[in-house]
Amino acid sequence: MINWRLIAKIMGFLLFIEAGLMMLCQGVCWIYEEGVKAFSPAISLALLLGIISVVLGRRAGKKMSRKDGYIVVSLVWVIFTLIGMIPFMLDGHVPDVASAFFETMSGFTSTGATIIDDLDAMPKGLLFWRSLTQWIGGIGIVFFTIAILPAFGVGEVKLFAAESTGPLHNKVHPRISVAAKWIGGVYVALTLLCIVSLMICGMPAFDAINYSMCTTATGGYGTHSALLDDYYHSPAIEYVLIFFMFISGVNYTLIYYTILKGKIKNFFSDAELKAYLIIVLGASLICAIVLAYNGSMYNVEESIRHSLFTVISLQTTTGLATVDYTIWPVQLMPVLLFVMFVGASSGSTSGGFKCVRLSIIYRVLVNEFTHILHPRAVTPVLMNGSIVPYKVVQTLMGFVALFVCSLFMGAFVLAISGVDPNDVHPNFDYYEAFGIAMSCISNVGPGMGYYGPVHSWDILSPLAKYVCSFLMLIGRLEIFPIIILFTRGFWKKG
Amino acid sequence: MKIVIVGAGAVGTHLARMLSNDRQDVVLIDADESKLFRWGSELDIMTLVRQPSSIQGMKDAEVNRADLFIAVTPNESENLACAMLAKQLGAKKTVARVDNYEYMKPENLELFKKMGIESLIYPELLAAEDIKASARYSWVRQMWEFNNGELLLLSVKMHDANPIGEKEISNKDNQLVGHTLKEIGMKHGHNFHVVAIKRDGETISPYGDEKILPRDLVFFMTTKDNLAEIRHLTGKDDYPAIKNSLLIGGGKLSVRASWKLATIHDGIKMIEPDKQRTEELQSLVSPKTMILEGEGYDMDLLNDEGYGNMEALIALTDNDQQNILACVAARRRGIRKTIAQVENLDYFDMADDLDIGTIINKKMIAASHIYRMLLKGDVDNVKMLTIGNADVAEFVVKPGSQVTRKKVMDLHFPYGVNIGGMSRDGHSMLVSGPTQLQAGDKVVVFCTGNTLKKLDKFFK
Repeated sequence: MINWRLIAKIMGFLLFIEAGLMMLCQGVCWIYEEGVKAFSPAISLALLLGIISVVLGRRAGKKMSRKDGYIVVSLVWVIFTLIGMIPFMLDGHVPDVASAFFETMSGFTSTGATIIDDLDAMPKGLLFWRSLTQWIGGIGIVFFTIAILPAFGVGEVKLFAAESTGPLHNKVHPRISVAAKWIGGVYVALTLLCIVSLMICGMPAFDAINYSMCTTATGGYGTHSALLDDYYHSPAIEYVLIFFMFISGVNYTLIYYTILKGKIKNFFSDAELKAYLIIVLGASLICAIVLAYNGSMYNVEESIRHSLFTVISLQTTTGLATVDYTIWPVQLMPVLLFVMFVGASSGSTSGGFKCVRLSIIYRVLVNEFTHILHPRAVTPVLMNGSIVPYKVVQTLMGFVALFVCSLFMGAFVLAISGVDPNDVHPNFDYYEAFGIAMSCISNVGPGMGYYGPVHSWDILSPLAKYVCSFLMLIGRLEIFPIIILFTRGFWKKG
Repeated sequence: MKIVIVGAGAVGTHLARMLSNDRQDVVLIDADESKLFRWGSELDIMTLVRQPSSIQGMKDAEVNRADLFIAVTPNESENLACAMLAKQLGAKKTVARVDNYEYMKPENLELFKKMGIESLIYPELLAAEDIKASARYSWVRQMWEFNNGELLLLSVKMHDANPIGEKEISNKDNQLVGHTLKEIGMKHGHNFHVVAIKRDGETISPYGDEKILPRDLVFFMTTKDNLAEIRHLTGKDDYPAIKNSLLIGGGKLSVRASWKLATIHDGIKMIEPDKQRTEELQSLVSPKTMILEGEGYDMDLLNDEGYGNMEALIALTDNDQQNILACVAARRRGIRKTIAQVENLDYFDMADDLDIGTIINKKMIAASHIYRMLLKGDVDNVKMLTIGNADVAEFVVKPGSQVTRKKVMDLHFPYGVNIGGMSRDGHSMLVSGPTQLQAGDKVVVFCTGNTLKKLDKFFK
């Protein structure tokens, strides 16, 4: 039984939240004395729909089933996007529906791919809205709501389960609403620290706020179309961003325990963090060596800095760029694709496959080899000293299959739908299609070839933009919650 | 409040559900991962896979910050060990479930306190008390006493209605069914209160225009003197008083029940098939009990022992199906009072549908008991009961509290709250709209839903 009334009620509350967020952006418009009128219609619509939903759901039963949880979480991301795209369309910077939908979905899923060619011409209110969508989406719309509202009263556990990432869930507190407040606190603190650090390094306040929100969300939107290195010429800013991107890719539960509980020992012995560190450092080292020996591009410090920045930016699926990595030596492309695929830690704001899954798969493989030599060995999969249940490993294998399928299907459909033939870059290479699919499903932002950090994706055909939006959504919610809605069993009674 | 529960069996999970619905911080520990898997994704609690008595496990659960530590694994010694460890690690209060009646004796209380265990739970003892509350009168489902038995809360099952005005009212007819509470109040005065109605598995707090329907379980609050009137109005004048009972099964619960029932019944018979157990039982049961060797479904034996004249049948074997069947059969033979032990929660609603009278579930009783114990520290009351999703609390009115300022009807209690009766200077009376409460009154309140907590401010 699907409890539509309850779903309507929760959607209503969530819509009020979105209206509130857009009011903030309206406030930014007033501060900068911009005559942007795009927000009021969107706010009114959100409020109106919110009131209707709440009225529809006023006599809702208190039971929330697992199905309801999945419907709420999937619906809320789509509805937030549909309403959030209105300001872009009304303001005229994003003319067509497909582009506006793409831009907003890219925001909420903290992907960071954009179709806007000239960000510097955008009103500050809209820029702030882009950053805000990333900041909310980074931690999760439902999660954000649970963290700021006292409580929905029902079903937090199911909503939380449908939205949180990673195969293993560790709570920092027995009650989800309290746990969400702590984790939300860590998130806010990181963002504030990042703002202060960037301002100390000489970034203007508005830029610092926007870049910080997009960095801790591992989103990758910004306020300037130019590359960071070309715009600011400041290694300090880049090192600050490197640090905060890296931290935002760490499991927030782990950060909470390390900082607030003083369990520093646990930090470095965490299996997932180890995997994350190894991959980050390994990939950066490879890039730095290749770049340094290639001589002509950068000096040694630049090689190290740009390698670190690019690898961390792509692995944490942020997608900010100091330089255009697509012109790097071709040997590095597989490395970059790999870190884009892996992503950072579970329970962080980053997307992708997540290090913890890779770490578990590694252990399963080691066990397989042990089994070949010692067929009767009992080999549990251990993570941080506790056994990973067989069910979790099984789900993980299903996830791998779905992830790879989605990736190839996405690349295939993109290759078919292609680009607008009248545009500057009319030909679509297979690796570009693959890069876009990978970038979308991992919520990275920039892709490969022409679709790197320098160009916007405006030239994609409308169909391709919808395909990308869908890939971003399934990537953000880790595929299962969306795909389950398309199964017959979900809608069958009983 | 932070509560750590060890043991994710029926008692532990039932408790965890109640407490998490109550927005307490619950940590549930069990060594068996598969038992916890389900609850972690269903309840708003933290689950930990640890050996129950592991010290590291307790530290992981932050037992030092726990307000209450509850050990309810199936293993008695493990429970005791866990509770002692938890206390030493800093848990404020500890509760352990035991399987031994000896531990429950009042003289041993101090011993356990010294060991660091504040409370012991012996589910069989609690269940036996419930059996006693149910087995007193055949026409009453369950009865609870307040203020030395002067104030009574009782539940009565409504049987078929008599169509109004179509025939003479006889003693056998229920004169309440089909009428609204307002009509009943006007017709029969204020000698009793309907405080709640349990209908289709849900307990509702009725208001004036609520009609009493057939098959409702109605909760009355009344004083001792008016008991007969309720019996008459519900059409149960011909129901006999219970003076003897038949217990089927000779387990621990039966032993406890035999002692509790001995205070209200004259004759108790207990049937147990195992010869060795019957011999053990000789020294365990109350002196009023006669032990019979045989099966509970042996009709020849039952008939020999005067099955037809039995006034209550209480089936307490370990086999749920057998208990339910024994009660259904007894109902057919005209035994008005039947009580069955049903341990499988899935059978619970089914058994309710079969209308076999009172159903006893040790685990639920134990869980509710712990839950009430917990609230006791919180709410200033003397005695508490849980019936379905309703709570009964006895509040003592504090001087200067909100309730002393206005009449009851002007107080605007939250929806779902029903004040039944009170005792003032030793005299019991019912509370109605115009009643003015005074400091020192003991008030019995019936609350459905989670309204109990909201009441606190009215009485403080």
